[in-house]
Amino acid sequence: MVDALFAVFHRPNFLTFVIIFLWGFYIMVTRYNLVKKLIGMYLVQTSVIFFLVSISAKKGATVPVLLSTTDPVQVASYANPLPHVLTLTAIVVGVATLGVGLALCGAIYRQYGSLDEQDILEKLE
Amino acid sequence: MSHQLPAILFLLPLFAAISMPVVCLKHHHWSRPISVVILAAMVPFSILNLYNVIRHGEVRYAFSGWSAPLGIEWVADGLASVILLLLSALGLLGVLFAGPTSPKALGGRIVHYYTLIMLLVSALTGIVFAGDLFNLFVFLEVAAISSYALVGIAGGRAIFAAFRYLILGTIGASLYLLGVSYLYAVTGTLNMADIAGKLPMLLDSKALIGGLLFIFIGLGIKMALVPFHAWLPEAYTYAPEPISAILAPLITKVVLLAWVRIIYWVLNATIVIYDIPILLLVAALGALASVIGASLALAQRDIKMMFAYGGIAHIGIILIGFGQGNPTGFAGGVFYLLNDAVMQASLFYIAGIAFCQYGVKTIDELGRIGKQVPWLTGSLIVVGLGMIGLPPTGGFFGKWYIILGALEADDYVSVAAVILSTLLTLAYFVKLFECMFRQSSTRSDDQFEEIPFSLKLTMGVTSAAVVILGIFSAPIVQLLLNQALPPGL
Repeated sequence: MVDALFAVFHRPNFLTFVIIFLWGFYIMVTRYNLVKKLIGMYLVQTSVIFFLVSISAKKGATVPVLLSTTDPVQVASYANPLPHVLTLTAIVVGVATLGVGLALCGAIYRQYGSLDEQDILEKLE
Repeated sequence: MSHQLPAILFLLPLFAAISMPVVCLKHHHWSRPISVVILAAMVPFSILNLYNVIRHGEVRYAFSGWSAPLGIEWVADGLASVILLLLSALGLLGVLFAGPTSPKALGGRIVHYYTLIMLLVSALTGIVFAGDLFNLFVFLEVAAISSYALVGIAGGRAIFAAFRYLILGTIGASLYLLGVSYLYAVTGTLNMADIAGKLPMLLDSKALIGGLLFIFIGLGIKMALVPFHAWLPEAYTYAPEPISAILAPLITKVVLLAWVRIIYWVLNATIVIYDIPILLLVAALGALASVIGASLALAQRDIKMMFAYGGIAHIGIILIGFGQGNPTGFAGGVFYLLNDAVMQASLFYIAGIAFCQYGVKTIDELGRIGKQVPWLTGSLIVVGLGMIGLPPTGGFFGKWYIILGALEADDYVSVAAVILSTLLTLAYFVKLFECMFRQSSTRSDDQFEEIPFSLKLTMGVTSAAVVILGIFSAPIVQLLLNQALPPGL
């Protein structure tokens, strides 16, 4: 048990990921304000992106551009570009979702005059 | 040209979606003919694609010539081609249905509506064809974002339902992406066929199990599997009629197809992880969903809400078919998926017509129109028979093959769940018809306007399809058994 706890501290990136993810999730579940819910949602998305970036980090590696075409390729000295490309796409998707969410928030505010979930639910009854 | 068909089928609606806001800026009324033409063109192309796949085997489409593990790959196999034909046909009917109902239901946002529908259809095409886990994620999100926007397009109570849909859908998408990054960390590849080749050596890996769990929960939220179904009924009930008529038959079924693809094509179907066979889990979740969904439907009085819960129950029945791990159950599941999509479309057309033409929202008000509108009543009876699963309709044969598959696998719990779900479906349709034909509420002096032709057409075609799928069930199931089975089944 204690060993497992210490093993966690050898991988601070995983720990950070878990903290950000659960923090965002906690905000989404407990807050009634819709914009705060969106902030929590964005934290959850960002934590997954952070995870994807952190597992692809490589010590002492450089950008994946071949410097010479004659020397044999040293795979260990180049970073893998794929996770970063995936991350870019995931960020774009996340921003688009957030945009739609904020637009819906704006529409809700214009219609109900409030962003508090409980107020809105009372008005819906 | 025939090997370019997957790309053509995807690009047609995508280009329409991109160009529509510009082309229709001044001429709002052009948007509907453009959408109808595009979707009508997709139907023959998808028939051609199905024919091509049956004749020459599956097509693997490598984008810009980069072949499989490095590039992005699309797979047009038998299953994908059948679902694609269903998708384009139901998309066309949905747009035809939207014509007369949209001016009232959507306010002035006609161009927005058709643009988003085109985007949705192209994203669903992408989900059907995707042979790469990350590509699948992108298309899932494009489809999801356009459906959030569609649900909230007309304001009213639907905006709040759309917001909840967005929050839950995004949790699902994040979990799916997390699972994909776990799988990527373990296997170092994203291509489905490539992962399938590497998984057998990695079955003890905890990261693999965690990743699969996240993927299943994420997709489970997107396809409204029972513990995660909370977003669906409200979103589909309060969404404007032309929108729920397109979303209800398509979204959950296409996501379910993606799930089946991951279970059968990426994982091996007979896989056992820590003594738990995955398929048993699928069948158990399906049994739970089919019973709980149908019982919740029984408790509803709002027509669309009742049909939405009915759809949730049918997702469960389809999963029972897929969870048996034998060809009969698999083909039965695919066949029931086709039937369920057609029946859901038909039910939401009927509910939409009842509301848009006659202002009927709950089953108590249905008695008002009972005998005056024979078209609507007739279609509702035919589709009701299909939902319950009585012999001439496709619903019966779908359930029949699923039960045969479950008997073959000695899974009597699943058989009991299908039968119980059928009885509950019978109960809520009896409740519906009882309200509809109650004598006391019928007044003969009400004036009923005629249903517009395109509404009659869509309703008639889908109701007829419920029966036609039943009559031709044997050749269709044979085709599925020959062409759509996963490897190793």
